[in-house]
Amino acid sequence: MKRYEVFLKKDGRDEYRHAGSLNAPDDDLALVLARETYLRRAEGDRLWLVDRAHLVVGDTEFVAPNADKPHRHNDGERIAERRRRLREERAPREEEAGS
Amino acid sequence: MTALTGGVREFVLAFADDEHLMGQQHTEWIGIAPFLEEDLAFSSIGQDELGHAAALYAIVLGGGDSDEPVDDRQLDALAFDPDPLRWRSANLTEIRTDDWAHALVRHWLYDTAEQLRWELVADSSLPALAGAAARAEREEWFHRRHADGLLDVLLPAPDAGERLRAALADLLPVAVGLFDPVAGEVEAVAAGVTAAPFDTRMPEWIDRVRSRFDTDLPLSTRSPAGRTTRSDAFGPLLSRMREVLDLDPAATW
Repeated sequence: MKRYEVFLKKDGRDEYRHAGSLNAPDDDLALVLARETYLRRAEGDRLWLVDRAHLVVGDTEFVAPNADKPHRHNDGERIAERRRRLREERAPREEEAGS
Repeated sequence: MTALTGGVREFVLAFADDEHLMGQQHTEWIGIAPFLEEDLAFSSIGQDELGHAAALYAIVLGGGDSDEPVDDRQLDALAFDPDPLRWRSANLTEIRTDDWAHALVRHWLYDTAEQLRWELVADSSLPALAGAAARAEREEWFHRRHADGLLDVLLPAPDAGERLRAALADLLPVAVGLFDPVAGEVEAVAAGVTAAPFDTRMPEWIDRVRSRFDTDLPLSTRSPAGRTTRSDAFGPLLSRMREVLDLDPAATW
């Protein structure tokens, strides 16, 4: 058995999205089984199957090397705080009136 | 709404019964097929067959008049009739296949015959039957691709190949009974409901069996019972199908 990753797309909508994975003995049966496993209720118009053996995979050590560098992160909190302060200073009444 | 009568009724009813029982048998593999994906695929194919059966029963009851749809309860009463004498199924669709090799070989044998059967009614004088044939073929090519895909992989494998060939030897003598005509088939041919008796397509089916399984297995001669005898497996199968109905026979669904 090979493992395939399944991607579906609706015509004229969205990008291909990962729908799940699939076990099948070969490419042809993978197509047959993908239809019944992921497309029984017309979930997509187009189908990509990728043999997982053909995926280029980065391991987690490689993928997340900057997890411990907060100076590279921007969660927007400081900017949001500054904007709030400026708004309140400039037009407190408008802020109360709501918008 | 005009219900079918006589030989034409018998002819369509036999087809409906075969589709119904085959659908039931396939769907019984839900949860126990060899792997998850096959589990879904096989039961889903069974659901397609149940859809064909529902269309054919509706033709039996209403002549296929789409303006006056058949009442569901009337259709259920026919499809789940507890009286074995009302049934016209082929014994191949009744027997229980406890192992996957038999289930897969039966799937292939049945669907290969089913293709030939729909072809005969593609230009039926019953418009609803011709319509059902066109619709069925849009699903059947996929069923055959599924069965062939699995056989392509499994037949050359030593252990699987042996099991499949043993299953074929078991099933062939029963499978030929698919071509047994109902008593009224002649009438159905005369009325243009079907282009020819079903067993005229049997040589084609036998060729396909021999080339698919690369076998010289002798095909036993048939003993046409006119589809009026039920196999031992029929009773238990009907009980499984009626299990919920029988819990409370007086209930209204």
